[in-house]
Amino acid sequence: MSPMETRTFDPARGGAKHLPAQRPTTGGGQAPNGPLLVVRGVEKHFLLAGAKLPVLRGVDLDLERGESVALLGSSGAGKSTLLHVLGLLERPNAGSVRLDGRECWALSIQERARLRNRAIGFVFQFYHLLPELTALENVLLPAMIAHGRLSYLRNRSNLRSLATQSLTRFGLDRRLTHRPAQLSGGERQRVALARALFNDPALMIADEPTGNLDSTTGAAVLELIFEEQRRRGLTLLLVTHDESVAARCARTVHMHDGRVV
Amino acid sequence: MYRTFLSWRYLRARLTNLIGIVGIAVAVGALIMILSIMTGFLEETKRTVRGNLADLIVSPAQDAQTSAGGPVPRDPRIALEVIRADPRVVAASARLVWYGLLAQGGQRAGTSRDVLTDTEAGRMMGAQLVGVDVLSFERFGYPLLEGVSRLMGWPFRAPLVQDDFDTTDLLLGLDRDPHPKRLGSPVEDPWNPFAPPRTRADIPGPKRASVIVGEQLFSALRMRRGDELELATVVPDPLTGRVSISNRKFVIAGSFRSGENAMDLERIYLERTELADFLGGGLAFSEILVKTQDYDRHGRALQVDLERKLAERGAIWWNGREEDLGAGGQVRTWEDFRRTLLGAIENERVLMAIMLSLILLVAGFTIFAILTMMVAEKRRDIGILAALGAPPGGILATFLLIGLWDALLGASVGALLGVQGALHIDRIEQWLSGVLGVQIFNRDVYFFDRIPAVVEPGPVALIVGGAFAITLCCAAVPAWRAARLDPLVALRYE
Repeated sequence: MSPMETRTFDPARGGAKHLPAQRPTTGGGQAPNGPLLVVRGVEKHFLLAGAKLPVLRGVDLDLERGESVALLGSSGAGKSTLLHVLGLLERPNAGSVRLDGRECWALSIQERARLRNRAIGFVFQFYHLLPELTALENVLLPAMIAHGRLSYLRNRSNLRSLATQSLTRFGLDRRLTHRPAQLSGGERQRVALARALFNDPALMIADEPTGNLDSTTGAAVLELIFEEQRRRGLTLLLVTHDESVAARCARTVHMHDGRVV
Repeated sequence: MYRTFLSWRYLRARLTNLIGIVGIAVAVGALIMILSIMTGFLEETKRTVRGNLADLIVSPAQDAQTSAGGPVPRDPRIALEVIRADPRVVAASARLVWYGLLAQGGQRAGTSRDVLTDTEAGRMMGAQLVGVDVLSFERFGYPLLEGVSRLMGWPFRAPLVQDDFDTTDLLLGLDRDPHPKRLGSPVEDPWNPFAPPRTRADIPGPKRASVIVGEQLFSALRMRRGDELELATVVPDPLTGRVSISNRKFVIAGSFRSGENAMDLERIYLERTELADFLGGGLAFSEILVKTQDYDRHGRALQVDLERKLAERGAIWWNGREEDLGAGGQVRTWEDFRRTLLGAIENERVLMAIMLSLILLVAGFTIFAILTMMVAEKRRDIGILAALGAPPGGILATFLLIGLWDALLGASVGALLGVQGALHIDRIEQWLSGVLGVQIFNRDVYFFDRIPAVVEPGPVALIVGGAFAITLCCAAVPAWRAARLDPLVALRYE
């Protein structure tokens, strides 16, 4: 692993420079230089026709700041469910998830949504861009959610300039006003990556980001992901089936039958 | 920020939203137009049914006792004095109302004996005899001027004075042109209606008082101006306490047309002094007609004040209880007389408004359907928004705002169309009638020859507010469902 700059998500400062300082929520007791994400004993089951179907069986996982981790496992091993629990989209039945020292599932819905907006960036396999919005607007969406109306309007030109720079950096300077339907798969994923990084999150969760792309385009997108991860010093959790992709991460975590092995 | 931005973008992106907006616009526009037209009808009808009816009508209970203990005076002088003393009163005149009989054929009513013994009494017709004051003392104050005018052949018209018959509804009936399909015959001079017709000038015999007959009665009995008409009536005999029948011959001075069937078919006008004489002189008046400066402004207050003043002066009956004064029993407004008809039109207006509000409800349901479809269609977007950090409240607000835009655009356009449509309803009706080849508004049926429409800001604001409320309520359900959507289910939705 090459030496890289590590960064912390400082709730008092806010995740991104364009965002106002964030009010501490539950008050984390953990030191800022400890692991960014601490997962302990996470369990999750689904009810299927009245029967309990366990998917996560006591998962323990630490993600250090600035670390890139690949999550490998066969289908049905529980990777996606774990990703959703860590991304604060799915509540676990047991266990704790602490992000930067804060117990995420003890937060209110609003506080959790705010944390997700500022501290976590998602990259999905199917891009998940809003079809009615242009590439630039899609990138600006996390900032629109983070800012109030007045604050957004005050910083509008600055934000648009930041989003334009970001898309230009990803080679999409000629695609700013294009809708997702007018973009190729690789371009869409680069827009999705720019959107995930716009609020400067501490943690990026990528769910098979190249699974829907051809090998050349996939490699280019992957290159961008790792480059940004190194440049920004963010923590990356990447779900993949591809051993070669996993090999590019600093650490590999295997899952089997709902457990980290 | 994203709520406004996304809601507006979603609104523009889906043409189906236009259906909802058009629905609200049509509902709001139609409601405003119909209500304005109904209000116009109400106002026009008020004007029409009122005719020249006086603002206030004082009807003393003449058989009752006054506060002083004596009977209510049979003479109108005290009451007229009290009424005219009020600065809000412009004019007041006494009127005597009684009932009489006349035989079919019109020229000869039965004699007392005939009325009581006629086995074919069904041939007799009832008539309402109304005695009004036309000439006043002031008129007699210009005999020289009138004489000179007549000599020179100039038209002479004495100035209108307080107790002139301007307060009665006869003048309007005389001014109105006869119905083209009836055989009405207007009086020679509406300002001196009881003057004997010129055709009677050469006829020898006793001078007879004149009567003016309702146009329908005039036509039905094939009367002619200058004919004699014998009327019979029943009067109480103050000496014996029994009723007796009195009959007298009158000269027909002409006909009047009030426009009301009942009045034109039954009413006969004559001078109040003549009618009082016909009745034996025991009764001089039944009611006093009062005309005010500004009825809408102080009609009701004047009603209460006059009843109090008249009671205190002993001109009307009073039970002596302070709390019963001004209750409106013996001093009534013209609206009290036409309460049933006006109430019916008002009821119709309210019912129409309620029924038409259903259109607004239908438009609201359209918004509900469109937004429900949109929420189903945008499930993935909702999941993405949640993943990007939008709280459920923000997602709810986003979809609620779409409803708000629908309401804002629909209600604004609808209000504009409704108000403009109401203001130009006549031109629209004429154009539509021309296009369809059907007469939509039959002007022969009504007293007015245009579709009346009165746009009032209050109801317009109420309709627009109602449209907002209904639309937002209908948008709230799908918006709430969107907010409750599990983001993961939404994200997996492909």
